[in-house]
Amino acid sequence: MAQLRTGFLVDTSRCIGCRSCQVACKEWNRLEVDKTTHQGTFENPRDLTPNLYNRIRFIEKADGKGGVTWRFVNERCLHCGDAGCMKVCPSPGALYRTTDGIVGFDKEKCIACKYCVSACPFNVPRYGADDKVSKCHLCLDRIGAGMVPACAKACPTQTLQYGGRDALIAKARGSGKKLYGENSLAGLGVLYALEGTPEEYGLPADPSIPTAIFLWKDVLKPLGILGFWGSVAAVLVHYVTFGGRKIEEDPAEKGGDAHG
Amino acid sequence: MGKYVERFDTKERILHWFVAASFFTLLLSGLGLYSLLFHGYFDLFGGGQGAILVHKLAGLVFLAASLLLFANHVRDMSTFDDDDRAWFRSLGGYLSKDPNHLNSGKFNAGQKAFGLFMGGATVVLGITGVINWIPATFPAGIVRLSLLLHGLFFLLFIMVVVVHAYLTTVGNPGTLESMIYGNVRRIWARKHHPKWYKEVGGE
Repeated sequence: MAQLRTGFLVDTSRCIGCRSCQVACKEWNRLEVDKTTHQGTFENPRDLTPNLYNRIRFIEKADGKGGVTWRFVNERCLHCGDAGCMKVCPSPGALYRTTDGIVGFDKEKCIACKYCVSACPFNVPRYGADDKVSKCHLCLDRIGAGMVPACAKACPTQTLQYGGRDALIAKARGSGKKLYGENSLAGLGVLYALEGTPEEYGLPADPSIPTAIFLWKDVLKPLGILGFWGSVAAVLVHYVTFGGRKIEEDPAEKGGDAHG
Repeated sequence: MGKYVERFDTKERILHWFVAASFFTLLLSGLGLYSLLFHGYFDLFGGGQGAILVHKLAGLVFLAASLLLFANHVRDMSTFDDDDRAWFRSLGGYLSKDPNHLNSGKFNAGQKAFGLFMGGATVVLGITGVINWIPATFPAGIVRLSLLLHGLFFLLFIMVVVVHAYLTTVGNPGTLESMIYGNVRRIWARKHHPKWYKEVGGE
């Protein structure tokens, strides 16, 4: 784990749903436009795509007085400290962690197994027409050059604040915000200051590595090594203890020697 | 009377070796997917994507051959009689040096259990394999469970195969001939499978 993790603080109380972050991300990362249709909501597109690394989720709720209340939340890869995608990826380097704690990806090394899609607690990785993984990489190229990620640069309300993770946490605490993701999954790289419960924002209340993935990687794998070598040892011990069951030639037996 | 009696016909032997060859291909191409520990095995297939392609093709061969082999033998291994229960009670006599053989039919109780396991494991590995192949078609929870079951049954399978390979070679000399030439010595049949030996015309 990195000594100095960087990340985002997403302060949902500041978000005005302008989607500058979506546009800036597409421009900087040169991502194709997704064709969408009007579906009776301002939310657009309705989900992350291989060409949409972050988007604003619009949570519309009737207020009971004939009106509607809106909440906005930026949805993207959360750069988990203990990342399910990295845990299952069988191709070293296809998903990797930078020294400042960001989970990047390398399409050249992706072998298209799609395990990361199943292992992500937040349903983030997407596969496009090239059959390779894609997701938010926090504009690693910009960060490397000392700039802030494109989305944060474009955000006009400072909803997206990029910086050292500890400083962001201290800042949010100082202003009395309730933080989401501070300790989950060894700490999320993208922290949320929410104005309601995580569920109201479509986030799992207590995110964790999916149980089946944990059982595969942390239980079955060690047991498997024990099981395989155990069965090899068992037959070897059996052989030297009891030996093979030789059947002696019966001298009374008559007939040709040839098989068949 | 010849010295040998036929145990497996040509079709059965060919199916068996198709199952074995595709299984080891699946093992080598799948190890790297099972865990990063075995990443080096990808090199045998020119990388991870090559290994995945081979794994899918070998999986189809294995599924077809194993199901056919199972269908071929299912009649001889789906019922357990009193002699089979006696076999289980004495663990096939494998934990003693007592040369007494048990009164088994074409397949003894252990072989029957092995055959049924292979059939069941083939179905589970086949279904979960298809789900893992096209995960976007299924809900995430199903795919996760499928990944876990594919790993679990692979593990059980390889452990059972280790025992199978032992018992059919050095564990019981004279057995392997049945899967190579198709026939076994009469004395082997009389000692290991007396009930079956009588059925096929022994004394």
